[in-house]
Amino acid sequence: MASAAARSFVFRQHINTCRLDFASCLNIKSFYSSYSANPKEKSPEHYTQYHEVSSDNWKFVERLKPPTVVPSFPKNGSYFSDWTPPPDTPPNLPYFVKRTKNFMVPVYLNFEAIRNQRKITMVKHIEGDIWAMEKDIKSHLEEVTKRPVVSQVHEVGMYIKFRGDYALHVKKWLLNAGF
Amino acid sequence: MATKIINKTVTEFSLRITRCFFVPSKAIQTNAALFQERSETSITNVAEQLLPTIRPPLPIIYSRKLAFPPKFKAVRQAWVSNMDTVEEEKLGLIDLHPEVFAERPRVDIIHENVRWQQLYRHVSYANTKVKYEVRGGGRKPRPQKGSGRSRHGSIRSPIWRGGGIVHGPRSPTPYFYMLSFNARLNGLRSTLSAKLAQDDLHIVDSLDIPTDDPSYLEKLVEERGWGPAVLFVDDNDIMPLNITAASDVHGHYNLMPVYGLNVHSMLKHHTLVLTLAAVERIEERLLFHLNRNDAAEAGRKYKLDSL
Repeated sequence: MASAAARSFVFRQHINTCRLDFASCLNIKSFYSSYSANPKEKSPEHYTQYHEVSSDNWKFVERLKPPTVVPSFPKNGSYFSDWTPPPDTPPNLPYFVKRTKNFMVPVYLNFEAIRNQRKITMVKHIEGDIWAMEKDIKSHLEEVTKRPVVSQVHEVGMYIKFRGDYALHVKKWLLNAGF
Repeated sequence: MATKIINKTVTEFSLRITRCFFVPSKAIQTNAALFQERSETSITNVAEQLLPTIRPPLPIIYSRKLAFPPKFKAVRQAWVSNMDTVEEEKLGLIDLHPEVFAERPRVDIIHENVRWQQLYRHVSYANTKVKYEVRGGGRKPRPQKGSGRSRHGSIRSPIWRGGGIVHGPRSPTPYFYMLSFNARLNGLRSTLSAKLAQDDLHIVDSLDIPTDDPSYLEKLVEERGWGPAVLFVDDNDIMPLNITAASDVHGHYNLMPVYGLNVHSMLKHHTLVLTLAAVERIEERLLFHLNRNDAAEAGRKYKLDSL
């Protein structure tokens, strides 16, 4: 008994010595450590009412949470943007370009600059004969833009870079090719 | 999920499975009748005086569901072996996801991972004294003018012999840095793929061995040609008693839970032996990180302000 009182005294002391900046303006609820110091429970009408709902309502909470894994795209066929879904069969070519996990075509426009803003178009996730792919895309770009195109083939990282902003052209080419 | 082998004892007669030796050139016959019983009487024929392993007809494990089934990449397959006997018995064939086990091995990423693992915990304790730390050198050696010699402020300046070192090592110097999340993820993928491609990856049903004799493990590894150093990986971090006792003696047979799997250990040990549960867990985790909706969260745990 005495030890419990001593402990509660020590505990209350500890609370009082904790200084909080907003303590002076707000009324912070104290946490009493002994039963006798606590305010006693009142009859139910003094407290807010509550009622239990069905656990089926959890689905309203669940649908607010974002999915942990990228969900699959709807297969109804009508898409309002330029996006087309990845095909079910791969095209008959010696190379393949895999879509990203968000089902987008892996073409990126980078600004790799040391002094001037140099625009680089990058195609990633390439599998197969990367040199054949580079030849095909390069010839297409030179046909479209009527000027020479500089490219880099990175065989280890399996990506191709083109110097210039050809992102839209490359994307269109890939979609037409069937990737 | 991982299927466990249930050793059934039949009361009327004992099933004795004939040893199945690995024959790469011939087609493996998976006819169940091939592994049916022969009425052998004596148990003492077994070399190690072990009880005969009783098994239901093979193949026991023959299917596995892949998460995020690959669209155009061929699924890889691997045998599932046992650990009950010294000789290898193939319990079945399972599918392995190509995104985890058949990725193009990026040697540069593997190197990055090994370098990081060796370096992030390295602290250099080499130390040299700076001029104010070297004993002495507080007094001006000679007056500024008059002696005809060069002017100096202290005998411990860096241009003096025995003086302080300017840009020398300063103890303790940490070499801590965090490799990016995707570099570590792709390091695991590349190493697992390389191990499978080089026949250094084996899958077993579980790590339960019949005896805690260290020589059992030696003979097993020797018989199967698993290489000098073997890394056994299981999903659980509390391993069965027998294999723990048997491998404790040998420094080159190591047990590891899946969460400890790393590129350096996989390369250091010649052979990697995964249990079915470990394969499931590894695939589930790696494929989740490859397909997760919030990729930025993956690296946030170890993101440091100063790096």
